[in-house]
Amino acid sequence: MMRVILEVKEQLKPNLPIEAECITPKNFLDPEREFHVWKGNKELDLTDIFHVRKDGNAKSAEQVEITIRGDSSHIKRVGEYMDGGKIIIEHDIGMHCGNFMSGGLIEIRGNADSWLGREMHGGKIICHGNAMDYAGSGYRGEKKGMRGGLIEIMGNAGDFAGETLAGGEIIIHGNAGDMPGVDIKDGRLTIMGDCSRPCGNMAGGECRVFGTAYDMLPTFRNEGPTTIDDVTVTRFSGDYTSRGLGTIYVVNCKYMD
Amino acid sequence: MKTLLIKNAYVIDPIQNINGETMDIAVRDGKIVDDVKNPDEVIDAQGMLTLPGGIDSHTHFSGTKVNFGRYMSPEDMRAGRTSRKGDMHATAGYSVPTTYGNSYRYAKMGYTTLLEGAMAPMEARHTHEEFRYTPLQDCLANTLFDGNWFALQAIQDGDIKRLAGVLAWYLSASKGFGVKLTNPGGTEAWGFGKDVSCINEPIPRFGITPREIIVKMIEANEMLNLPHSVHLHCNNLGKPGNYMCTLDTYDAIPDLNDKRQSLYSTHVQFHSYGGSSWKDFCSKAEDIARSVNDKPHIVIDTGQVMFGKTTTMTADGPMEFNLYRLYHNKWSNHDVEMETGSGVIPVQYKKKNLVNAIMWSIGLELGLLVDDPWRCILATDNPNGAPFVKYPEVMALLMSKEYRDKEFATLHKSTGKRVILPSLERELTWNEIAIMTRSAQARALGLVDYGKGYLGEGAEADIAIYPIDVATTDPTRDYERIINGFSSTEYTIKRGEVVCRRGTCTPEGNHATYWVKPHVSPKYDMSTDSTFIDDFNRYYSIRMANYPIGEEYIGRNVCMETEASI
Repeated sequence: MMRVILEVKEQLKPNLPIEAECITPKNFLDPEREFHVWKGNKELDLTDIFHVRKDGNAKSAEQVEITIRGDSSHIKRVGEYMDGGKIIIEHDIGMHCGNFMSGGLIEIRGNADSWLGREMHGGKIICHGNAMDYAGSGYRGEKKGMRGGLIEIMGNAGDFAGETLAGGEIIIHGNAGDMPGVDIKDGRLTIMGDCSRPCGNMAGGECRVFGTAYDMLPTFRNEGPTTIDDVTVTRFSGDYTSRGLGTIYVVNCKYMD
Repeated sequence: MKTLLIKNAYVIDPIQNINGETMDIAVRDGKIVDDVKNPDEVIDAQGMLTLPGGIDSHTHFSGTKVNFGRYMSPEDMRAGRTSRKGDMHATAGYSVPTTYGNSYRYAKMGYTTLLEGAMAPMEARHTHEEFRYTPLQDCLANTLFDGNWFALQAIQDGDIKRLAGVLAWYLSASKGFGVKLTNPGGTEAWGFGKDVSCINEPIPRFGITPREIIVKMIEANEMLNLPHSVHLHCNNLGKPGNYMCTLDTYDAIPDLNDKRQSLYSTHVQFHSYGGSSWKDFCSKAEDIARSVNDKPHIVIDTGQVMFGKTTTMTADGPMEFNLYRLYHNKWSNHDVEMETGSGVIPVQYKKKNLVNAIMWSIGLELGLLVDDPWRCILATDNPNGAPFVKYPEVMALLMSKEYRDKEFATLHKSTGKRVILPSLERELTWNEIAIMTRSAQARALGLVDYGKGYLGEGAEADIAIYPIDVATTDPTRDYERIINGFSSTEYTIKRGEVVCRRGTCTPEGNHATYWVKPHVSPKYDMSTDSTFIDDFNRYYSIRMANYPIGEEYIGRNVCMETEASI
């Protein structure tokens, strides 16, 4: 088992974003590897940003556990292409955490910035705080977003959560913002709280809203009541601007006035 | 740099009938000369294939359509990213790259001259601005006339001289190079929600047929003595059974020029389809090739399709709408006031898709079935058939039956019943490939008189030196070496300066924009024609005085002046 502790050093310019896609469990297996990060337009060594402590040995990524301490809210792309192991982030994390992740676990004890788990293929992300916009989404222009794995957000999510979702599951325990699950194709999006305008142009998959869906889109057809885990919900099929192959279950819904 | 000597080059230069001679090439002040004493720079090209710089005679790399492809496909920018390196700019994009991306990648393949296939004259500024940031290639732009109301009006009135006058004014106002017709009449009909089915169907409002438009445009083009012929994208692109329409079009073409072709028919692969629907879709490349072989006044380019993701873009609005109905992906449609329209759609060609596999085969069949390589140009209609970076693969496919068979085996299993490609034994030679990638283009575009496409004394020193040893390379077997060799030159030389060395490019290549200025008599000078001026100011959203492109937009340029016979 290898434990890596990365403690963020005090930054002279704390608002400059840092691109740290090298922080994945697999990369720490190679003791010779050099770690470079970009800060603004300068390429720096990992040790310029963090106090790095490494204990123990590991043979595979699964045996590596990385802990990030300190103010990491401007550190982007942590865990990109991660395929196993564990990353624990003790405070907030910057944008694009867990991009293209295919295995392992990322646990965020604070809040996550936008694009959490973008185009994720597998593995698990747990965010104990809130997540900003585009959690578990695709990227600009792409037709398919997240394809597998699980993202669980204990707080609220911003707008466009699960945009172009094409597999896997997203669970948001708080509220979601505007247009969650827009262009969703497959997979399941669960929102325990409220949201507005869910699942525009839905082409498949499933969305469940256990709070109130505001500004419900008129292109979904009310298919009557049903129950999920003893909760009475209304089933909608749609989006009929597309072929109407998706399903939304909502506890309450309101149309726009 | 003043002088350069390339020693021991293995030269193939079809225009000068040099087919594999080891020789020295001397360059002074950007031109090839007989000899130089004490050259400033010496390049030893021992064992390297040396050709005139490549010319792409039909590619979409600059202008509003290409830029709209960039807008609507941000995902394309994720592919092909390179970071800044020395003097080289960062680039991004695969099928619609940034201007520097286009320029660097073409230079790496040894291409030094590019013809933008379709420029709407009203949006010419944008095209010329992008030309300025395509630093390593000379650029030319075909100007669209397929739906130009003044031109259509002149054809309706039967006044060919006035039509020639209109062409002359638009060409020099937009700093264009040649006359491009895209689905003549069809794009205009599309403005009213219609299309034309073939060349004998009248178009709305004007009541003239595409056949009249094509023939009259060719006549007018020859009156202006332009270096290039009419550049035609036939009607009915991409529809099953459209080969009949293409054959009818070819039969209607008059032979009006002794020096070069009278018609350049572009991306013919898209116009060689048999069948009545996608279900019985098949290749008719044989019929098309036979027609082309019989008509020495027609030059074609193949419009090869290669598998993978790309973006289609054309002024043929109705065709793009049909494509949209097939793919249900993003679609852009655009109307350019009095002139033309356009459409853009991202597509993906797949090996296991029967239609795509047949399209791939048709392009190769055309390349192999047209006997005369001077009249069959290698192109992918970049990026419609495939991004231009696929050219080396196309060359290898044409040169090696073994490679073709190997690729063919990976396609949809029914492809063999719809095409004749597996039965074609022809393997193109080095000389034929050199013709199809530069010499034929130079001749078809009329650029030989301007020093392009050959390595003789007085020619522009545009030279591509490939790390291919012809003596030890058997193209029929070593297709991997062909692909690698043509993908990256050892040296690409533009106007006597090395602009690309093994993929590392210089910031500036002394590039120029070529444009035509036909001199017509005052009677046919549209800039003083009161009817033209009145109608222009009435129907366009901009004033006629603000319309022409100033020279400040085009930087270094070469004006090709011609004396018109009107």
